[in-house]
Amino acid sequence: MGPVNNITPTATANTTFRDWFIRPNVQKWFVIVSFAIIPVFMLLLFTYYPFLKMIEFSFYNMSYTKVRGFYGLKNYIDIFSKPELFSTFRISLYYMVGALLQIGLALYFATILSFKTKGSAFYKGAMFFPFLINGIAIGFIFKFFYTRGYVLDTVLQFLGIPLESLPYWLRDTTINNWSLVATSLWKYMGQNMVLFAGAIMSVDPTLYEAAAIDGANKWHQFRFIILPSIFTVLTLNVILSITGSLSAFEPPYVITSMGGNGTATYFIKMHQTAHVQYKVGLACAMAVVLALIIIIVTVIQKLAFKYAFRNATTETKVAKKSKGAK
Amino acid sequence: MKKTLAIILSTLLVLAMVTTAFATEVPTFDGFVLGTDYTDITATIKVLSHRTDLVNDGVFGAYVEEFNKVYPNITVEYEGLTDYAEDITLRLTGGDSWGDVMMLPASLEADEFSNYYTPLGNLAEMTEIYNFINNKQFEGTVYGIPSTGNAQGIVYNKAVFEKAGITELPKTPEAFIAALQAIKDNTDATPLYTNYAAGWTMGAWDAYLGGSATGDPDFMNIKMLHDADPFSDRGDATGPYAVYKVLYDAVAAGLIEDDYTTTDWESSKVMINNGEIGCMVLGSWAFSQMVEAGPNGDDIGYMSFPITVDGVQSASAGADYCYAINAKADANQQIAAMVYVKWMTYESKFAYNEGGIPINKDGEYPALYAAFEGIEFVPDTNALDSEATLPDELNTESALSLNRGNNEKVQKIVEAAFNQSQTIDEIMANWNEAWATAQTDLGVTVE
Repeated sequence: MGPVNNITPTATANTTFRDWFIRPNVQKWFVIVSFAIIPVFMLLLFTYYPFLKMIEFSFYNMSYTKVRGFYGLKNYIDIFSKPELFSTFRISLYYMVGALLQIGLALYFATILSFKTKGSAFYKGAMFFPFLINGIAIGFIFKFFYTRGYVLDTVLQFLGIPLESLPYWLRDTTINNWSLVATSLWKYMGQNMVLFAGAIMSVDPTLYEAAAIDGANKWHQFRFIILPSIFTVLTLNVILSITGSLSAFEPPYVITSMGGNGTATYFIKMHQTAHVQYKVGLACAMAVVLALIIIIVTVIQKLAFKYAFRNATTETKVAKKSKGAK
Repeated sequence: MKKTLAIILSTLLVLAMVTTAFATEVPTFDGFVLGTDYTDITATIKVLSHRTDLVNDGVFGAYVEEFNKVYPNITVEYEGLTDYAEDITLRLTGGDSWGDVMMLPASLEADEFSNYYTPLGNLAEMTEIYNFINNKQFEGTVYGIPSTGNAQGIVYNKAVFEKAGITELPKTPEAFIAALQAIKDNTDATPLYTNYAAGWTMGAWDAYLGGSATGDPDFMNIKMLHDADPFSDRGDATGPYAVYKVLYDAVAAGLIEDDYTTTDWESSKVMINNGEIGCMVLGSWAFSQMVEAGPNGDDIGYMSFPITVDGVQSASAGADYCYAINAKADANQQIAAMVYVKWMTYESKFAYNEGGIPINKDGEYPALYAAFEGIEFVPDTNALDSEATLPDELNTESALSLNRGNNEKVQKIVEAAFNQSQTIDEIMANWNEAWATAQTDLGVTVE
């Protein structure tokens, strides 16, 4: 074989590779892959790999430093057969009720503040502020807030309620969970409100005028214009709040010293299992179960929203269509 | 011929000596003399400590300064960890470069020590020289040397006791509850401050189960393992049941603070100093902190836990956190670390300054131990070699985690007593059940 013969195919290969490479389709994929590879790699490394590891750990009897043996499903059986673990989901109900209340309040304030209220920027800022404070710091604030004879009691006494008739906010097991839920509400309400306010701002103001001409009052405007328009944000907020209430951790961890006095949530139990009892396998199994429960709850909510707002969505579509027709 | 042989032999001997001098072999804890050996060693070592207070206010810095007068080329850096028990375990799983000296965490089981730490010496030999040296050992090899030792008792305010008309320190649970009642009736002070909210202060009640409650050094690590119901009422006001019953009864009779959920550890020190608190159930380490918390340090006293077994009152005593040396560090680093730890044990007076029991047996006892006159210190013996890891395994499996930070179970006693939701017998029956289940799971023979 001559040298010419050797060169020609290589040259052809080069041209074909370049040709292939500069094809728009290939270029597009090249850009997608090269942009995505680092974030995807990091996602896999820091999210999915640890998650898979956690699932693996959940089948072992192990501490952080020592694997004592393969357990099969025993960890999972333990979760459902030991009432002190699973019953803590009962505490989550308090937080769920709190979450709904929180959404309601947030929606209320967001709506009021979106109707040209005086000082609305100040109120929004003031209500959003607690969200910026670290959860542990909030815990310490409220620990003193609820202490007998401290902030809350002083204010209530000032309003004329004698100390003797006030409850012990954290000691009394009938109300202490509500005390904790209130702190969580105080923190997250502002964030929900800002999200709602943002969504409401995107509503076309001419719709209000049109509605007003048609004789709609503020409630009608809220019910038939605002609510359908912010449907997506509302769904998102409710789902986030409900799943958040399943994994409530900071208030009982800080305020009632790691869930004392019947305030231990599932998350607290998980923490204790891993870091106090060193049963890391069992704690991982608990985390897997929690993840499954959160997925189930989310799906249920999605379906419920779809069902509840099946008319509202068509209304929005109609509204949009009529707007487009103008 | 003989001459050549002599030359060869002496050369070999010199070579051997040179190699020994340069082969940096890590000595045992007692294999070198402090102040003479290794004075020329140069190293920078990092010490991980749970005492963030001493790290931050420069107390450790002052010790290091003293140390550097003898060993000028060893630089010692301290790092304090706030949630020590939790964070240190995660550090250990993160690799071998955590530093050179750490306080050996309770989460490690005895058979894991050799994976991480330099052996310090032989248990039998070291027992002759040091107190509580069996705390962190495995199969006769010691891996951790205590930083200081504690006796378990009750810190109390003498002025309050006097005002309440208590002339003799209580020696039985019954007398103790009566004394608390007298404080409630005759003074404005809180008879017993639980420090419920701090958590670990509640877990501290576990420390009385061994010596204080039974007077038996074998109870914790040998007998209890095979006892089917260690938490049952023994009927003579002794044993673990009696310890927790003291707490339960005090809460049930309203002899504790008004709102236990919002107690505050830092202010409790000032309050007992001022005479607003009668007593607190805490180890001897707490004494010096209560004395220093205010102007009335002279009022603070210390007494043994009110349980008397067969006419004899004993006190649990044991090691505080133990120093352990990173076996994966360079030999040079390990030697420097060993030198520093030995210096802390012998020369620093750390244990004395912290109000602890000295670690070297001829060390000096601080004044507060006069309160233990006539009371025997009973440290726990170590587990039998055949079941070296069993105490830890049972502890983990039963989820009681005695002396290992399960504060929640003791907090529950307070809650149950206050709300009258469970009797102490029911709680102890639950614990017995957890214990028995763990014994079955681990295949332990029960007597």
